[in-house]
Amino acid sequence: MTGEGRALLRLMVIQGAWSYERMIGVGMGFAAQPLLHDLEAATPERHREATARSSEFFNCHPYLAGLALGASVRAEHDGVAGAQIQRLRTALCSPLGALGDQVFWAGLVPILMSLALAAIALGGGGWVLAAVVVGFNLFRAAVTRWALRTGLESGMQVGRAVSASWLPRAAAKVAVPAGLTAGLAIPLTAAWLLAPGLGGDLLIASASAGVAGVLLRFGGARLTSLRVALLFAVLILLWTRFAP
Amino acid sequence: MPIRLFRIDDRLIHGQVVLGWARALGIVDIVLVDDGVAASPWEQDLYRMAVPPEMQVEFVNTEQARRKLPEWRDGTMDVLLLTGEIETMVRVLAGVPDPPSVNLGGIHHRAGRTERLPYVYLTDEELAELRRLEASGVRVSAEDVPGAGAVGLKALG
Repeated sequence: MTGEGRALLRLMVIQGAWSYERMIGVGMGFAAQPLLHDLEAATPERHREATARSSEFFNCHPYLAGLALGASVRAEHDGVAGAQIQRLRTALCSPLGALGDQVFWAGLVPILMSLALAAIALGGGGWVLAAVVVGFNLFRAAVTRWALRTGLESGMQVGRAVSASWLPRAAAKVAVPAGLTAGLAIPLTAAWLLAPGLGGDLLIASASAGVAGVLLRFGGARLTSLRVALLFAVLILLWTRFAP
Repeated sequence: MPIRLFRIDDRLIHGQVVLGWARALGIVDIVLVDDGVAASPWEQDLYRMAVPPEMQVEFVNTEQARRKLPEWRDGTMDVLLLTGEIETMVRVLAGVPDPPSVNLGGIHHRAGRTERLPYVYLTDEELAELRRLEASGVRVSAEDVPGAGAVGLKALG
């Protein structure tokens, strides 16, 4: 496998060594290794410096980290001054974090989840979930590959390459479909969940929503929405399993 | 006090600053004080990409920040003044009348720094510098996102 192929695989687990101290820095260093390998024989001193630099503190959206990785590796090969490369890494954290959050966490993920919920409510089966997970990860892999390639091609000019790419346009446009699909999915899902009988179930659903609201409002910082959702998932499982 | 927040954060303009603080405080102008970035158009292009359309960003060096500080403080626009380095903030605020509060955001690991909070790593010299800043009348506390609870300088070591 080529260095680029191994770097791609390593980019898929970039958060595996996440820590407050370096965030995804160690993952970046790990992914950079196969791409820095050829410096080892040619300029061992540069290779040592580049390895250390590539593992320093770094944070951005994990799917877009390849842009920073590719750009800094290219700059190392081009012999750009170390201080410049450090400045590039620092400056990339912010746009790659902001663009990734908008496109993925606040865009694509809610869109796919909403479509999956709507499809299930309209009669789709469990295959919908499988299709969403596979589809999302194929897209993620394609984005990771694009990011690494673009970074490697553009080096210190990566900012210009990102501005001219699909990313800022997608970030600006994705919020509307995300809101639309969520707005579509919520009533469809609610109607589907409550369809069996609008008497008792409606009462239980309203009461549960009320209890969840109270827990989230007054439960303190430890009761996050994820934990409340998990608690209710467990209660629903127990109910469906043991209810008379 | 139209400078609503003085923040030290080595990630400069990023999610916690833009979405966490600037949106919550209704900031319209982010002032980034950094001598390196002020002299580097390509870095400014990168940071500008992370600023949402309803906010503007100004890139200034330490000298320009010192000169414009009274204008920002007396103005009507809600401003967030951000530096990446402790030393830059100390120089911006040296000897200003009516010293403000300074918020420590992310100051991350670097050789020689030890962990004071999960998001604040400082060398002993940097801690001493912050203590001198507080002795000059500036209140210094750490808080990564609004509502997380401010941690005073005494708790940092």
